[in-house]
Amino acid sequence: MTGTGSKALLPRRKRRRRSGWRGFLYIAPAMALVILFFVMPVIFTGWMSLHNWPLMGGTRWIGFNNYVRMFHDARFMSALRFTAYYTVIVTIAIFAVAFPLAIFVEKQRRFVSAYRTIIFLPVVIGLATASLLWVWLANVDSGFIGPALKALGWVDKSPNLLATFDSAFLTIIIMVVWKIAGFTMIILLTGLQAIPADLTEAARIDGAGRWQRFRHVTLPLMRKTIALALIISVTGSILAFDQFYIMTSGGPQNRMISVVYYIFNQSFVSFNLGYGAALSIALLAILVAISIVQLWLLRVGEERP
Amino acid sequence: MSDTGVVLTDIRKSFGNLEVIHGIDLTITEGSFVVFVGPSGCGKSTLLRMIAGLEEVTDGEIEIKGRNVTDLDPSDRGIAMVFQSYALYPHMSVRENMAFGLKMARLPEPEIDSRVKAASAILKIDPLLDRRPGQLSGGQRQRVAIGRAIVRKPDVFLFDEPLSNLDAELRVSMRIEIARLHRELGNTMIYVTHDQTEAMTLADMIVVLRDGRVEQTGSPREIYENPANTFVAGFIGSPRMNLLNAEWTGDGSIRIGNSRIAVQIDDNRMAPGGKLTLGVRPEHMNVVVDTEGTLRAKVDFYEYLGGTQFLYCQLEDGQAVTAEYRSSVPVEAGDILHFRWQADDLRFFDAAGLRLKGAC
Repeated sequence: MTGTGSKALLPRRKRRRRSGWRGFLYIAPAMALVILFFVMPVIFTGWMSLHNWPLMGGTRWIGFNNYVRMFHDARFMSALRFTAYYTVIVTIAIFAVAFPLAIFVEKQRRFVSAYRTIIFLPVVIGLATASLLWVWLANVDSGFIGPALKALGWVDKSPNLLATFDSAFLTIIIMVVWKIAGFTMIILLTGLQAIPADLTEAARIDGAGRWQRFRHVTLPLMRKTIALALIISVTGSILAFDQFYIMTSGGPQNRMISVVYYIFNQSFVSFNLGYGAALSIALLAILVAISIVQLWLLRVGEERP
Repeated sequence: MSDTGVVLTDIRKSFGNLEVIHGIDLTITEGSFVVFVGPSGCGKSTLLRMIAGLEEVTDGEIEIKGRNVTDLDPSDRGIAMVFQSYALYPHMSVRENMAFGLKMARLPEPEIDSRVKAASAILKIDPLLDRRPGQLSGGQRQRVAIGRAIVRKPDVFLFDEPLSNLDAELRVSMRIEIARLHRELGNTMIYVTHDQTEAMTLADMIVVLRDGRVEQTGSPREIYENPANTFVAGFIGSPRMNLLNAEWTGDGSIRIGNSRIAVQIDDNRMAPGGKLTLGVRPEHMNVVVDTEGTLRAKVDFYEYLGGTQFLYCQLEDGQAVTAEYRSSVPVEAGDILHFRWQADDLRFFDAAGLRLKGAC
């Protein structure tokens, strides 16, 4: 009995191993892409960050000196501060616009798909293209916003929107909200639509007003969706580059240098490739940490502690 | 009118240009258990949702306990509703689910606590209070949903097909539970279902609806024994009542196919040669040995249910007829049987399907 038993086991184990290989085969193309375009560049960047690596000339191993340098780099610190400030403001602005829009387009009403499309339309434009468009819109003489304000008689002289920090920052925030809010709206819309109508009706019978229903039923049930939208918005904002590069070239008095912009400057303007690599690794670490904190705060995957 | 539970006056509902409820008048006495029953799309759920205030009334008036509530918010109508999907808040514990409405009404904490305790004792869900709906079985969830309704101490309970999502066994026990609850609480209850067994067993009064109109209201016995028309006759009862096309000969008999059967009809609407429908329930179809004045039918197939059998037969003119058969003499498909009935078990309907007065 035992003999036949072990004989019977053998092919089954072999089959399992073969099906394991087949599974691996299926994920292999995706794995190859991830390894080639993510894992290897990250490892290589890590390797570069431990070197003094000029564009031309020999590289030199300097250990963690690039990372030590980072902590005493006032310009990097101010880039971090600016990026954090921008991320907070733009994320709040995006949500403040996207949430009401999502609620607006969730209800079945006339032309609702037209509204959805129109609001979503700017999303399909590239960020660089949108930045260029808004550079023109904000132009003091040949643009739209300044001359329009003047034509309406609200200002005496067409303002140069991109000349002062506050007005340039406001312009960029408005541009990014115009560009991104439609995308956040669609994410939030799927979350809203996933809430069964029965629940809202039960809450109405329970005497919850519009705001209480939103606060006690809609918001808690949208936690996962909000987490997703928040992480996408925050990581996108931390990686912001195009709008500052194209619209303000770093802004009045270089006050609009974001972290990525600073890395770009170090790597491709000053050609400190090693230092740029170290800054990139630091940025990656920051992003991972923030995402972990966000996921933990919003506790995706379980209903609540 | 103050002792009256719910009064509907000429209630109409349109979605766009489409009128789905065509003027319903209904008086529901306080403390009674009323069941709205009808095929899907008959408007029974819409009617319930209008009473709840979840659906706007296009025209007409709703009164609850003598108060016109037509334009009030759902929470101000003194109603509580149990949904087919339970509609429990998934992110709240059972306790929080039940307390939510009371919190919204800003009741003091001790009061909320005691009401939740009392309701959970009635429904025997005390051990579940700290669980979440996701951790409960279907039957338990339905209990919690009922508990959430009870704590509101409503004048009227509304049930929208509450047992449809449960399996057969649980449905029977929850049905008994709801009947017990009605006895204990004594509130007016309005219950929507398409399941006629639920309607028959639970109701003090059944309202049969079709296409947004009331076809008949009455006690289960009235509806079953004296259906107002062929629709009600066919809808209530399982297997359904046999409705046979017949012809009134005018000389004290009717003709069904080749059979001539003596009956008496005192309705002056019937003229000799007029078409009518004979209604007879399967349990009133008795198999007899003699052949004179009986209905001859061939057994197509039968269902053996242990205590009883249902024979599905065909008359000579092709009409289908169902009979309940309790004899121990075996019957096979293909057998020719002769049926007869008690005179007062017959119901007659005119060509329009309306009940004819008369007896055999």
